[in-house]
Amino acid sequence: MPENHITEEIKALIGTRNGPVLAFHPVEASEVRRFHQAIMDPARRYWDEEWAKSSRYGGVVAPPAFPPLAFRRAPDEADPLDRMGEPGFDGNTRNFRGLPPVKVSLPRLMNGGYEYEFFRYARVGERIYRSSTYRDIYQRNGRSGPMVFVVVSDMYTTDGNVPLVNMTTTTILR
Amino acid sequence: MNGIYFEDVSVGQDIPNLLKGPMSTAHLVRWCAAMENWHLIHFDWKYATGHDKLPDVMVNGTWKQNVMIQLLTDWVGESGWLWKINFQFRGMNVPGDLLTAWGRVGAVESRGDYGVVRLDIGLRNQKGEEGTPGSATVVLPRRGGPAVPYPFDPACLGPAG
Repeated sequence: MPENHITEEIKALIGTRNGPVLAFHPVEASEVRRFHQAIMDPARRYWDEEWAKSSRYGGVVAPPAFPPLAFRRAPDEADPLDRMGEPGFDGNTRNFRGLPPVKVSLPRLMNGGYEYEFFRYARVGERIYRSSTYRDIYQRNGRSGPMVFVVVSDMYTTDGNVPLVNMTTTTILR
Repeated sequence: MNGIYFEDVSVGQDIPNLLKGPMSTAHLVRWCAAMENWHLIHFDWKYATGHDKLPDVMVNGTWKQNVMIQLLTDWVGESGWLWKINFQFRGMNVPGDLLTAWGRVGAVESRGDYGVVRLDIGLRNQKGEEGTPGSATVVLPRRGGPAVPYPFDPACLGPAG
């Protein structure tokens, strides 16, 4: 039988919340440009201020799924690449949006899937907040061994608690 | 980019595909830099194939999700609204892949002044292999009806049928 990674300590994490956490800086036009260029989506709402002013958005906006990626490293925050060369370093963080760590001894991490509900797009200059919850943590045993699924729900808002997007992610530790 | 009306949509209808690629490591690095993601499986071939036993460096799931979102935002235009979308990353995509995002209408429902459309969606590679199956729900205006409110509030749809 594969090892059971879902200990009482792990089970107790389900329902834990964190936030709201404020993104280090407001939405910048340059990061919106790099984002929409990297996904190769040339829609005018992301760059044409003249057009956007008279649109339903009232100004240039970031792509729908931008808010989750708006949480940049602050200048005084540790450089994640300082850990390059350490055993087990994969360049990724297992910090689930500031929620308590999921301490399981599985070395690989995969992105399992996403669910989004969109309410509004973030405008350039707006601040973004994130509130996170562990929805579920469970194990499945596959052909390649045990896999632990970590389900996190994040609500993103802007000032005034105005909802932008609700995102639920499944991360697979294997 | 013109929008569409609920009356123009029927079950079984295919929406226009969205093509991306062929993908290259440059596309992956550009995305990693834009989102500041340093997960080695996206740009370190030795790590991806050695440590993680993958066939190559991986096209980011976060990049693919934005392609799926664009498929729908392009289709509904500026008068409709992509309300919900979900997908699972079941298949890997690697440099060289030519990706086709696709969608097919699965159900239509009139709610309040608007139309709600559910679609099956996915992202196939050049071999036709489906790697990112999912579904989406969009809200469309009716011909002669009010615009879908922005910001979007699901309460505008009234109770679910």
